[in-house]
Amino acid sequence: MRKAASTALAFFIVIGFGCTQERSLTERKTEPRIVFAHFKVPSPETLSGLIEAFERQNPGVKVIEEILPASTDQQHQFYVTALEGRSAAFDVFALDVIWVQEFARAGWLLDLSPRLGGERLAEFLPGPVEAATYNDRIHAVPWFANAGILYFRKDLLSKYGFAPPRTFKELSHQAVTILAGEQDPDLKGFVWQGKQYEGLICVALEFIHGNGGSVLEGHHSALRDKQAVEALQLMHDLIAINKVSPPLVTSADEEATRHLFGAGRAIFMRNWPYALALYEQEGSKVRGKVGIAPLPSFEGYQSAPTLGGWLLGVNRFSTRPDLARKLVEFLTSQAAQKALAIKLGFPPARDALYHDAELKMANPFISPLYEAMRRARPRPITPFYLMISQVLQPELSAAIMGVKPPERALEDASRLIEHILKLEVQ
Amino acid sequence: MRKDEIRPALLMILPACLFIGALAIFPILHAFRISLDRRMPVFGISYFVGLDNYRFLLQDPRFWQSFLNTAYFSLLSVSLELALGLLLAILLHGSFRGRGLFRAVVLIPWAIPTVVSARMWEWILNPDFGLLNYLLQQIGLLSSPLNWLGDRVLAMHALILADVWKTSPFVALILLTGLQMIPEELYEAARVDGAGRWQIFRRITFPLLLPFILIALLFRTLDAFRIFDLVYVLTGGGPANTTETLSLYAYKLLFQTLQFGYGSAVAVATFLTVLLISAAYISLLRRQHHG
Repeated sequence: MRKAASTALAFFIVIGFGCTQERSLTERKTEPRIVFAHFKVPSPETLSGLIEAFERQNPGVKVIEEILPASTDQQHQFYVTALEGRSAAFDVFALDVIWVQEFARAGWLLDLSPRLGGERLAEFLPGPVEAATYNDRIHAVPWFANAGILYFRKDLLSKYGFAPPRTFKELSHQAVTILAGEQDPDLKGFVWQGKQYEGLICVALEFIHGNGGSVLEGHHSALRDKQAVEALQLMHDLIAINKVSPPLVTSADEEATRHLFGAGRAIFMRNWPYALALYEQEGSKVRGKVGIAPLPSFEGYQSAPTLGGWLLGVNRFSTRPDLARKLVEFLTSQAAQKALAIKLGFPPARDALYHDAELKMANPFISPLYEAMRRARPRPITPFYLMISQVLQPELSAAIMGVKPPERALEDASRLIEHILKLEVQ
Repeated sequence: MRKDEIRPALLMILPACLFIGALAIFPILHAFRISLDRRMPVFGISYFVGLDNYRFLLQDPRFWQSFLNTAYFSLLSVSLELALGLLLAILLHGSFRGRGLFRAVVLIPWAIPTVVSARMWEWILNPDFGLLNYLLQQIGLLSSPLNWLGDRVLAMHALILADVWKTSPFVALILLTGLQMIPEELYEAARVDGAGRWQIFRRITFPLLLPFILIALLFRTLDAFRIFDLVYVLTGGGPANTTETLSLYAYKLLFQTLQFGYGSAVAVATFLTVLLISAAYISLLRRQHHG
């Protein structure tokens, strides 16, 4: 018995010793290493190539990529769990535009203002900069941008002599005229994302902002205002009264609408720019027939697409903040954003790139997006955004379905939103 | 049990008790503990509030709506699954050519992971490209396609349909086992006595199958009450929260908006409801057993 115990003990000592020795060896071998956590990008070679270039510029530095699950919910959970425990397991990470305020308030993001203040900010589009600013400090650097755009069927519009619509009224009129003229039971007018999920909020905000309304004014809800009520009423009417939008939009997400428009079965679609390149691929039924324009607005107001996209931030608990900040600056540089726009089609977050001749040549889809990107407005800028979103989703869904009149849905949402905003005061 | 047997017996069940304690009882108690806090770590909020979360819950219309949604879903889907499962079990119990193959085929829906079958149903139910609308239009039951997942009455029933498709084979499997346990002699004796088919079913098959029916009901009701993945994929709780279930609401509170205190209260309420249902079934089973 005693012999067995001492053998076991010796065994564990050897194993333990082996481990410690191994660790000290690797530590010596790879000096500064930083971890970059991000979602999986399409054709990852482009990003890895950029990272290798960074390593060549900084000899001896090793960047490890930590790739997270595709769902943004899961990424959010991962970051919150890790940062709550003050984890230094990653140094640089990709942030959805709607998380920056929340994480900045929690004190999890390194303040990047000292290196990034003033003029250098002007190089970026205004929407992403607004999303990155919390208490007048910059907490993340815009990586690439996204914004809702209007897709339309060039062939159908020109057949009826229409120019792309500037207002929702024009859009309705055009859709009704074309639907009546075509007599095709499979053809729909205007499709958008009306399922009860985050996408519905993006669309509803385009209607609300496009009517001069907003969600928040300071610590109060602005949703009781006439502008917001009118906006939701129109969304409801498009389906139930004007029959411009088919009832199926109430269960549609991005992909459902993309397939419908891609099958040549819709005249207008609201979606993100990603569908554009897919429609121009060989074998696409709508190849050469797709036009894009800024989203319509209400009469007398300007187009107000919702901002999407990602930013890069530095973990406040990182043990190598300087190196991490350098990587963020490198990956958000003009050259890096240009490479991502050419190879992956990510719309740049830097203004100047939309006028870059080489980029325009390589990716003809980029420059028509400029107006939408310039005008893109973030979702409500507040650390409590995710809670507000959860309150809004069912109420917006109820209003467009006609389950509740818009006034009541917005009143109910307002009451809950104001309850949430009280957290800030506490 | 003799006195000297007690100590070794206790020692032997100790590992099982520790295991259950660590994996089941501790997390439940911990969830209950957290449900007494207002806890939102992202916002630096964490303090004891006693029963406040439960007081809020009782007046939370969203909680009650998800409670009713869940109850409606469970009641309808479990009844249909039981009826269909019984029918399938009787069919599978009979002897016919290709029975083995048929039994295997029937089990396929049960073998597919829910998230995968939910994606499949997403396409079947698609209002524009979906198979279901196409079939119903072909046989003349529908004149125009229905918006299954975007209609406030249809959406819940579409979910029930997908759930019935998936889990009826499971019920059939349990009931088939029950049918096979009934001794053939009983049927022979009944036939000799001149009993008709319906009489045989009512007097022999059904009473002897009852414990199995109750077990199937217990399993299925508990599962249905915790339904999450199907709803998460197909509707996300919409339209207008008409399909939001208790688990989905708790998930949104806990993992999307990180309200750990209140989210735990909703989870505990779900747990207590499930516990009550189980207790009711088990007492029924017992009574049936003794009676």
